[in-house]
Amino acid sequence: MGQFLEFRNISKSFPGVKALDDVSFRAESGRILALLGENGAGKSTLLKIMSGDYIPDEGSVVLNDEVMNFVSPHDAIVKGISVIYQERQLMMALSVMENVFAGDLPNHNGVVDKAKLKAETKALIDKFGLAIQPETPVMLLPVAHQQMVEIMKAYRRNSKVIAFDEPTAPLTDTEITVLFDLIRQLKEDGKIVIYVSHRMKEIYDITDDVIVLKDGKFVSNMVTQDTVEGDLIKAMVGRDIGDTYANLDRNDTYGDVVLEVKNLTTNAISDVSFTLRQGEVLGFAGLVGSGRTEVARAIFGADPIISGALKFEGEDFLPKTPKDAIDKGIALCPEDRKEQGLVLHRSIEDNVCMPVLDKLAKFFFLNVKKCHKLTVDAIKKYDIKTPTVDKMVVELSGGNQQKVILGRWTSEAFNSKLIILDEPTKGIDVKTKAEIYQMVCDFAKQGMAVIFISSELTEVINVADSIAVMNNGRIAGVVDRKDATEESVLALAMLH
Amino acid sequence: MGKVSGNLTASSTNNYAKVHPLKRAMRTKAFPLLVLFALMVIFFSIFPQIHVGPHAIFLRARTFWRILEALSVTGLLTIGAGMLIVSGGIDLSNGSVGSLAGVILATGVSANGWPWWVAVIVAVLASGIVGFLNAVIINELKLPAFVVTLAMAAAIPAVSLFMSRNEIGTFMGQINFRNSTLEAIGRHRIGEANTAALVVLALFVIYGVILARTKFGRTLYLMGGNRAAARLVGINEKRISYFLYINCAVLAGLAGLLNATRVGLAGAQVLVGEQFTGITAAILGGISFGGGSGGLGGAFMGIVVIRTFAQGTAISGASPYLTAPASGALLLLALAFDYFNTSRTNKRLTV
Repeated sequence: MGQFLEFRNISKSFPGVKALDDVSFRAESGRILALLGENGAGKSTLLKIMSGDYIPDEGSVVLNDEVMNFVSPHDAIVKGISVIYQERQLMMALSVMENVFAGDLPNHNGVVDKAKLKAETKALIDKFGLAIQPETPVMLLPVAHQQMVEIMKAYRRNSKVIAFDEPTAPLTDTEITVLFDLIRQLKEDGKIVIYVSHRMKEIYDITDDVIVLKDGKFVSNMVTQDTVEGDLIKAMVGRDIGDTYANLDRNDTYGDVVLEVKNLTTNAISDVSFTLRQGEVLGFAGLVGSGRTEVARAIFGADPIISGALKFEGEDFLPKTPKDAIDKGIALCPEDRKEQGLVLHRSIEDNVCMPVLDKLAKFFFLNVKKCHKLTVDAIKKYDIKTPTVDKMVVELSGGNQQKVILGRWTSEAFNSKLIILDEPTKGIDVKTKAEIYQMVCDFAKQGMAVIFISSELTEVINVADSIAVMNNGRIAGVVDRKDATEESVLALAMLH
Repeated sequence: MGKVSGNLTASSTNNYAKVHPLKRAMRTKAFPLLVLFALMVIFFSIFPQIHVGPHAIFLRARTFWRILEALSVTGLLTIGAGMLIVSGGIDLSNGSVGSLAGVILATGVSANGWPWWVAVIVAVLASGIVGFLNAVIINELKLPAFVVTLAMAAAIPAVSLFMSRNEIGTFMGQINFRNSTLEAIGRHRIGEANTAALVVLALFVIYGVILARTKFGRTLYLMGGNRAAARLVGINEKRISYFLYINCAVLAGLAGLLNATRVGLAGAQVLVGEQFTGITAAILGGISFGGGSGGLGGAFMGIVVIRTFAQGTAISGASPYLTAPASGALLLLALAFDYFNTSRTNKRLTV
C-alpha cells in the first residue's frame, strides 16, 4: 500500500467569495494527479491550503491517515509537502547548492561544510541528469533551470508530496520535455505528484488522474486516459463549448497592405521581412527567446532598430518611441500583462483610458463623463466582470485583465489599424481563451491587421491565417494555416 | 437605429457608476486625518483652558493661520516630493536645496549688493539646476533616485557653506541679512493671514487640482503605478520625470526663500532634515512609497495634523522636551493605524 494525501471536506471563504466548498478527493503515490479548473475555480486556494499558507475554515488535509493541522508553510515542509509555484521561491543571489539545502546546510558547529554541500548537490544534479553547476548563483540560470533547482530542493527535503502550479508556463518545448522526465522520475520514486495546468496537451502527456473543480466545488474525478478533451472542458466549463477552432467566425477578405517590414534588424532579431494586409491575422510561432516578442517591440518603437525599413500604409515609418507607433494606429498588448500591460493598483477606468488621455481632456482637464463612458463601453463590449469602473485591475481575474487591455486599444477614441497580441491567452482558462480567439477574428473582420504571437502551437496554427515561424532571431519560414501542422511548425522552429 | 440604442440603455441596468464621491473621499487617507484633526481641535480647545487658563485660547482664526504659516515651508517641500513619489520617484535633497536658495538670497543682497529680485531669480534658477542634475543622473545614468538625491542632499550644504565663507559673524554658515522689501513681503499680512500661509495654501490648491483633475496628473499615477506599462501606451515618462525633479527643486527653492525672508536668516543647514518631515506628511496622507496612489489633499492633512499637534501642545504650555517625543509617538500611531488598515485591505484582495 502506497502513500496517499487526502482532502476531506475542505471549505474556505474569503469576504464575498466562497473559494472552496466542501471539496474532498485523494491523491496516491506513484500517480500524477492533474488539478483542473477555470481561473477562480479554487485550484490556487487548494494548493495554498496544502502548503500551509491558508488555514481551511472546515475540513482537513490528511497524509497517510495522519491529520495535518498546518498553521504555517513551515509545518507543511516538515511534514513533507512541497508546492512549487510559478513565482519561484528562490534566493536569487545565492548559489544552486545553497538554495537546494536552504534551511538545512550541512555544517560543523555552525560553519558550513562546503565540500559536503557541493558533493551532495552534485549527486542530486547527476541523479536528475541536469547540466547545472552547484556553485552557480541561481539568478544566472535560465528560468527552466531555476525551476529544476526548486524541484531538487523539494526532493532533498524528502518530500512525500510535490505539487506543481503551472510549471510549464515560462518554458520552451525542449525544457518541458526535461521537466516531464523529471516529474516522471518523481512518480517512479513513489512521490505523490499534483499537477496544475491550463494546457490540455500536458494533462494527457503526463497525468494519470484528473480532478476537476468549478466555482470552488468538486466536479469529477476521472482517469485521464479514459477521457477525451471535450469531457474535461465540459466538466470545467459546465457545458459543451464544442470545437473551439472549427466554430470560429473568421474573416476572409483582405484589404490594402498595412505594414511592410524589410530586413528589420535589432539587437535580438535579424533580417526579418513580411507584409501584413488589412483583415489579416499573422501568427508568430517559435521557441521562447526566438525573437517573436522582439519583432513586436521593434515595430512598436519599444526597442531601437539597427537597420531595415518599415512602411506603414505605404509611407516610410521609423518608430523611435512607442508614441510614434501609437500615433499611427498601432497597438501592443504585451506578453507580460502584469509587468508591462497594466497599472495593477489603478482602476479599470485608468487602465482603459491610458493611451487616449489627450482625446479625453479639454484644456488639460480630463472630461470625467467621457472617461466613464469609454470605460463602460469596454466593459460591456468584452463582458468584463466588475460592479464598477472603479475596481482596481489587480482584483480582476487574468482573463478580465486581458480584456481590459483589449478594451484599451479598441475603444472609439483609438483608431487601431494594427493590433499586436503577444501571448494573449497566457494563464487564461479555456472558456476565456475561446472568447479571445473569436475577438481576434472580429478584429480582422473590422479591417484591422493582427499579429498574434503565441507559444501554444495548437492555438497559433488554428487561429492565424498564416504563421511566421521564428528561429534564432530570424523568420525560418511562413506557413499557411491550411498547410500548418504542429510537426511542420516545430520542425522550422527547432531547425539549426 | 434609434430603437437599437433604446434597447441598449433599457437592458443595461448597471451603468458601472463610480462609488459616490463622498464615500470615496471617506476611503482616502485624508478622511481619518480629518477626524484626527477634529479631535485635536476639540481637545486643544478645552484642555489648555483648564490646564493653563482662560488666556490660552486655541479655537480662533489666528491659530489656524499660524498653523498654516508654520507649515508653509515644509508644505512646499511636501508638494514637490509628494508629486514625485506619486510618479514613482523620490527626492531627499530638497531640504538642502531650500537651504541653498536661502544662502544665495542672503549673500546676494547682503554681500554682493544685488537687487532683491535678482537674488530671488538666481536662487530659483540655481534650485532648478540642482533638480535638473538629479533628473539627468537618475534618467540617463539610471542610478537609483534614492541614492542620487541622498548624495545630493549631502553635497549641497557644502556648496552653501562655501558660498557663505566670507560672511562676518558667520556661525556654521548662518547669515543674517536685511532687505526692507523682502521683509515687507515676508511679514505682509491680510487680516490674520500672512504671505507664507497664503502662498502654501494657494500652491496646495493649484497642484492638488492638477494632480486630481488633469491629464498630466492622471499620467503621474499611471507612471508611478507601472512605468513600463506607461511607456508602452505612449506616455513620455522621461520628460515627465525631468519636469518633476525640476519642479520639486524649484518648490524647495521657494520654500528656502520663504523661510529666509520670514526670519531674516539663512544658512547652509537651516532646512536640512525638513525634507523628511515633508515626505512623512505625504506618506501619512496616503501617498504610498511605491508610487501610483494618494493625493495632495491627504498630504496637506498630513502636515496639518503634524503642525496642529505642535501648535496645540505649545498653547497647552507643554515642555518642548515632551512635545517632540509626543509628536513622534503620534506619528508612529498614525502610521501603524494606516499600516494595519492597508494590510487588511490587501488581505481582502489576495483571494
